[in-house]
Amino acid sequence: MARNLMSCLSGSNNVIINYWKMKISRLITAMAAILVSVSAAAQTLPDVTVEDAQGKEISVRSLLTGKPLIISYWSIACKPCIQELNAINDVIEEWREEADFEVVAVSVDDVRMQANAKAKASSLGWEFTCIYDPNQALKRAMNVNLTPQSFVVDADGNIVFSHAGYTPGSEELLFEKVLELSE
Amino acid sequence: MKRILAAAAAVAAAAFSASGQVRTGDEGQLSASFETNTIYYVDDKGIPGSTPDDHFGSNNYLKVDYNYRKFSAGIQIEGYFPALYGYEIGTQEDPKKLWLGSKYISWDDENFSVLVGNVYEQFGNGLIFRSYEDRQLGLNNSLEGARVSFSLSRYLTVKGVYGRPRLYTDYAGSWVRGMDLSISIADIFKWDSILLSVEGSYINRYESLDKDSFMDFYSLGLDTPQLNMYSGRVNFGWKGLSLKGEYATKSKDLPTSASTKAVKGAAIYAEAIYSYKTFSISGTYRILDNMGTMLSLYGSGTGNALNYLPALTRQYTYMLANLNPYQVNVSGETAGQIDAYYSLRSKESRHKYWNFHANYSTAYTLNPSQSSTEGIQLMWSDANVDIERQWGRKLKTILLFSRQEWSPSHGFEAETYVSNIFVGDVTYKFDRKKSLRVELQYLLSDDYEGDWAACLAEFSFAPRWSIFASDMYNLEGTKKNYYNAGFSYTKGRSRIQISYGRNRAGYICSGGVCRYSPAYTGLNFTMTTSF
Repeated sequence: MARNLMSCLSGSNNVIINYWKMKISRLITAMAAILVSVSAAAQTLPDVTVEDAQGKEISVRSLLTGKPLIISYWSIACKPCIQELNAINDVIEEWREEADFEVVAVSVDDVRMQANAKAKASSLGWEFTCIYDPNQALKRAMNVNLTPQSFVVDADGNIVFSHAGYTPGSEELLFEKVLELSE
Repeated sequence: MKRILAAAAAVAAAAFSASGQVRTGDEGQLSASFETNTIYYVDDKGIPGSTPDDHFGSNNYLKVDYNYRKFSAGIQIEGYFPALYGYEIGTQEDPKKLWLGSKYISWDDENFSVLVGNVYEQFGNGLIFRSYEDRQLGLNNSLEGARVSFSLSRYLTVKGVYGRPRLYTDYAGSWVRGMDLSISIADIFKWDSILLSVEGSYINRYESLDKDSFMDFYSLGLDTPQLNMYSGRVNFGWKGLSLKGEYATKSKDLPTSASTKAVKGAAIYAEAIYSYKTFSISGTYRILDNMGTMLSLYGSGTGNALNYLPALTRQYTYMLANLNPYQVNVSGETAGQIDAYYSLRSKESRHKYWNFHANYSTAYTLNPSQSSTEGIQLMWSDANVDIERQWGRKLKTILLFSRQEWSPSHGFEAETYVSNIFVGDVTYKFDRKKSLRVELQYLLSDDYEGDWAACLAEFSFAPRWSIFASDMYNLEGTKKNYYNAGFSYTKGRSRIQISYGRNRAGYICSGGVCRYSPAYTGLNFTMTTSF
């Protein structure tokens, strides 16, 4: 009786162990699948409506012109963001001798600072397309937590690289990716 | 909920192991971001009584979005373990520690979109409605409900929103519904080089006046649970000129939680920008007359706001220029600011230029009843100028002067304090990766706490490392140091920052909205990542 009970419990244990083995195996397989696909795929530019420099609503995907894009987020209160965009503007002619690309500066200033942002962008002589995201719809869609944050997008709209924060010189990472796309 | 958390944890794990995006199916894609801001508070004899009981605070956000062609869905899980010291979330009656702060399902077609879940939306300049998130303020007033939008070519766009507003880690007991209409006159008449649109919005808030027997709103002059708000706007743009105007009005309401009488409200907003080559000028002007609007009559705090009424002042990045920021007076205010920019650029080198900027902002009380003198009083003025010089590839200097005059009683008394602030900011780039930035600041004042001095040094090793140290010292009043030092490390879309320092009590402002932060000393860990 005792042996039967032991074997019954042992059988029950085996069932439980096998059940959990199967569960864990499935979980590991699912995680592996996620990680493999993470390393293989690229995010695409979301189709969100923003404002152009004149205040007209445009789709972000309409900015795709068949060239690689550098997309850089900024705001009036974000000093390193402006530093990064100024640094790109300083070398843009040199970079364009080696690769054909466009730069999009996305201001996330709300209505309070938008007039100020438009005036500043205009005076700094940026050779960029300036767009405005006053209620942060694009920022949310691209999961941007902090600025500065910059992206490199290929001609088909796939996001192939992104970088958070800015330290003088880190803009060269963006150009390296643009060069890779141009090769 | 457990399943959602398990899924979210799996996504977060994936985020740390690689950067990229998870494709599920032909075009479906999953993206996510995670942010933590965690502080260990330390006892500091220099600022006694400034440490919370458990010495710990941590605000955490995990956002996950799924997108398949025109379909999108997402969630945001928030964890407060507990909320950081000074955040209003932590002072609520029963704040949730871990909860599903936001969720949505949406369908976006070319001319039609519908979203069910937490709605983030803004009508016009936000005078009557803005739902948004600001993590620095601990603010999220999104509507849990639905939004529908329809466009007729480029001629006309109609939006409708309906829902109950989020109030900290709960939902207000009110219901908000509204419509927004925008008609593009320029597109109707095919004026390609001109922008001309007329717009109008309507917002209604419904909240029962009988939910709390201790609060008698009828005696304060409210006689209906309905609040109605209207707004009309005109936008014009042609070449380098852009003009905006908005008028808003609201029915009888209690503008703030401290209001003792229900009143009607109104607001005017005007904005102009003109640009010509590298010269540009912008101006904004606004009148607010009892325009504060709460999500709930039973709530309070910075997060209890249905509309967006920020301070129209310059946003500084320098410590001493931000020492005494202006907070908007929603009861009554006439305010404006003007900015002028000019850039003088070398024709020989793109690495040599001057940038000049001047700004003036001011705010006055609107009604004589706001002041003990029964006159119009100055609440704020700031005249400032900054000159930036890029000398070449290696050296950049910035000089800033700001003269701020502010009323400690918010215009109730005639007395004002004056601060003169001087800043020097130098960046030197040793080579393509190494750079040093130094700030020296001085605040000169005969009022309040007297003179202050501050300095900051930041060494960067691009693209990953940055080390910084700063100190702010009050020379004449408290004679206290407010020091801070730390480093940051960035790789791809992930960034970690660890710092230790003492923080002064005062107002933390983001986007012109301010919350009070108590003084504290602590070790701060922040991390953000996304994929």
